[in-house]
Amino acid sequence: MTSFLIRFYPARWRARYGDEFEAILEERPLGPFDLADILLGALDAQLRLHGRMSDIQQGKGFSMSLRVGGFAAIFGGAIFALSIVVGIGIVGNVEPVVPGILLVTGSLALLVALVGLSAFQARVHPVLSWAAVAIAAAGTIVGIVGIVGLQLVAEDYWIAFILGILGALVGSTLFAIATYRTAALSRGAALLLGVCSVLTIAAGQGGNILGPVPLVVTSIGFALGWFVLGIHAVRLERPASDPRPA
Amino acid sequence: MEGKIPEFGRFAEPSLLILVSLSDGPKHGYAIMQDVEQGTGRPMGAGTLYAALARLEEQGLIEPLPPEDRRRPYRLTAVGASNLAEQLRGLSEFAQMGLRQLGKT
Repeated sequence: MTSFLIRFYPARWRARYGDEFEAILEERPLGPFDLADILLGALDAQLRLHGRMSDIQQGKGFSMSLRVGGFAAIFGGAIFALSIVVGIGIVGNVEPVVPGILLVTGSLALLVALVGLSAFQARVHPVLSWAAVAIAAAGTIVGIVGIVGLQLVAEDYWIAFILGILGALVGSTLFAIATYRTAALSRGAALLLGVCSVLTIAAGQGGNILGPVPLVVTSIGFALGWFVLGIHAVRLERPASDPRPA
Repeated sequence: MEGKIPEFGRFAEPSLLILVSLSDGPKHGYAIMQDVEQGTGRPMGAGTLYAALARLEEQGLIEPLPPEDRRRPYRLTAVGASNLAEQLRGLSEFAQMGLRQLGKT
């Protein structure tokens, strides 16, 4: 009878408490109160174990989100900055379509980074975080329209191309503010990203007067900001028990 | 109430009774059940006992000792003793407040 009752408990619970529990049940005859109590205890153990597995799954999902977001930030920041540097024509013989492809690729990666790395920030600053994602997403869509339009229709689509860049830069700025305020990731990198995003917009406006150097410098700062944030996110995701090099 | 064990739900009271039972030394499950029944006049079922024991162990308020035959004794940890003292102080203040109010009516 006792071994039958213990079968209602989860296997992991039985492995830990099974022997001693069975010994207790054998100490005295079981009445209806005991039967009901044991069945309720088994139900509780099943529910608790199920709840813990859900928590583990949720934790795994969050870790995956940080990892994907971190790598997307590293990749997206670099590609996006490269699209600006190539786009202003200082690299040399490049097909006109190349900056556009780089821009769309970088914007998409940054969108993934924004979604993946905004979990903490969204709890404290939901409006800022959602605005960052929404503006970057809108910028990406407009950028795609711009690159397709440039190839298929006319040069009038440059405005869409520029709006695509602006969307990613404004989205990055808002993300940087939310990250700096919450200190969810490196505040120094968030500050660098925010400042360089704004300066890139400003340098783009004064490009004809100041030449390409400020734009190149701020683009590198922008990429560096995303790089450090990405590295930080990937390192946060690494379990504490992982061996680290000395 | 201050000092109440967090997230123990309906097992908060059995958990407190177990902590009190262990406060005078390690005991195995059956001895705890007998102790509680003697102290409160009400039996504690094995299902309730182990649901509470698992929670207390998980929170680090009690710890298992090596089994003797098939019986495994448990003892209070330092954190458990501190938590118990806090709970008992809270209950004592609550009881005193109730008694004062009864005296006024």
